[in-house]
Amino acid sequence: MAPPNRSARAAVLASSVQRSQPTPYPSKQRSAFVRRLVLSVLVLAALAMLTISFRSPTAGALHDAQSYGATALRPFQIAATRVARPFKDAYDYVDGLASAKSRASRYQRENAQLRAQLVAAEAAAAKTPSLEKLYRYEQGSTFPAGFRPVNASVISFPDGPFSEEIAIDVGRNAGVTVNTPVVSGDGLVGRVTNVFSRTSLVTLLTDPQSYVAARDVKTGVRGLLHRGAGNTLILDQVAKQLPVAKGDPLVTDGTHNARYPDLYPYGIPIGSVASVGVLDTASFLQVQVAPYAELSSLDSVAALVATKRR
Amino acid sequence: MTPFDAVKAAAILFVVAIAQVSIFSQVHVLGGVPDLLLVTLVAVSLLRGSLAGSLAGFGAGLVVDTASLGEMGLTALVLTLAGYWIGRYGETTGRDRLHAPFLSVAVVTVLYAFGLVVVHFVLGDSAPAGPVLRGLAPAIAMNLVLTAPMYALVRRLLRPAQREDLTSEVQLLG
Repeated sequence: MAPPNRSARAAVLASSVQRSQPTPYPSKQRSAFVRRLVLSVLVLAALAMLTISFRSPTAGALHDAQSYGATALRPFQIAATRVARPFKDAYDYVDGLASAKSRASRYQRENAQLRAQLVAAEAAAAKTPSLEKLYRYEQGSTFPAGFRPVNASVISFPDGPFSEEIAIDVGRNAGVTVNTPVVSGDGLVGRVTNVFSRTSLVTLLTDPQSYVAARDVKTGVRGLLHRGAGNTLILDQVAKQLPVAKGDPLVTDGTHNARYPDLYPYGIPIGSVASVGVLDTASFLQVQVAPYAELSSLDSVAALVATKRR
Repeated sequence: MTPFDAVKAAAILFVVAIAQVSIFSQVHVLGGVPDLLLVTLVAVSLLRGSLAGSLAGFGAGLVVDTASLGEMGLTALVLTLAGYWIGRYGETTGRDRLHAPFLSVAVVTVLYAFGLVVVHFVLGDSAPAGPVLRGLAPAIAMNLVLTAPMYALVRRLLRPAQREDLTSEVQLLG
């Protein structure tokens, strides 16, 4: 008899009785063999069908058998589909209700996105005329030699009657420096007065501190263009006896003395003479100028960066 | 397994295979597709052992391959192995365990999905694992939901086999 504190495991391990090796039942041996044989046959059959199907997917006996089988199964599939139709419709209905809210918000997002794209496209299209003018000017014969255009968009406009400056989206990184002339497709706009890495500040012709040496193309009369009374541009310093007529085109006069180079190269269109007046009390002609550039609605401009050191 | 049991198992697997191809394959929930055929195969294999499981998997796979006009033998191969493995699990460690159907369904859903990916990859077909991975969790969840009623139905149709009927190489103590 085993002592009371002896465990069953110890009893088994310490048993002096030598157990015989259990022999599996012949029927179980046979069933394991059959099981493995059946599995092997099935796997081989599946692999054989797979190989045949893969090698000749569109023809052959297996393809024909599959075709006949599919034809035979078709009625069952149709029946199953018909039986399931009401359930599927109900599922689709519930699913549609559940996803309607998310779909609505998705459509709203897409709508907003499309609207933004439309506005962006319209805005881009609105800039096309000014870009075309600018391109024509840059490719034209009047474009000053020794300069290259750096195209820019106007990113801010004069914010009131006391400011005659615009900001453009090119700066030091593009080679722009202080006093770089800025033009639009129509004519002179002004010059850069402050430059940052990627933006620049442009002082317009209409700023009180802006002075441009100008020349009447038809008569060769020179003068100094600056802002006059009443927010107009005037061509100043023109003697009374000199011939200046209404409609005469004005361009920048350029440099006459190499020691004192002008800020603007010769030949940039500025505007045309709007009126010519003579006052007995004044020493010079009263020449009003209408600028070619639409200074109040600039979209695309070009900074004229010198290609060689001046 | 009696011939009558075999007929009943074949009938239910045929109906479920047709339903799987025609109905359940179109149910997409969060990227996952419920697999009623796999759940039924698990039930049959657990109740009738590896021999019946492998035969059931092969037959059901053939029906699916034929009805879906896919590569003949592809689904049959994977389901044969699945049925055999579940049957062996049912004959040995999974015997009489309450969680055996659920555990089998969860594991086999994963193995079946990746088994198909592997076979398609070997055949040179497009075998993107990403969508399979994304749809795996919903598929497991849906299959687990289907497990209890399907296992109960199959158990009702196929009476649980006597222990002597099941082939076994692992003897349980006690």
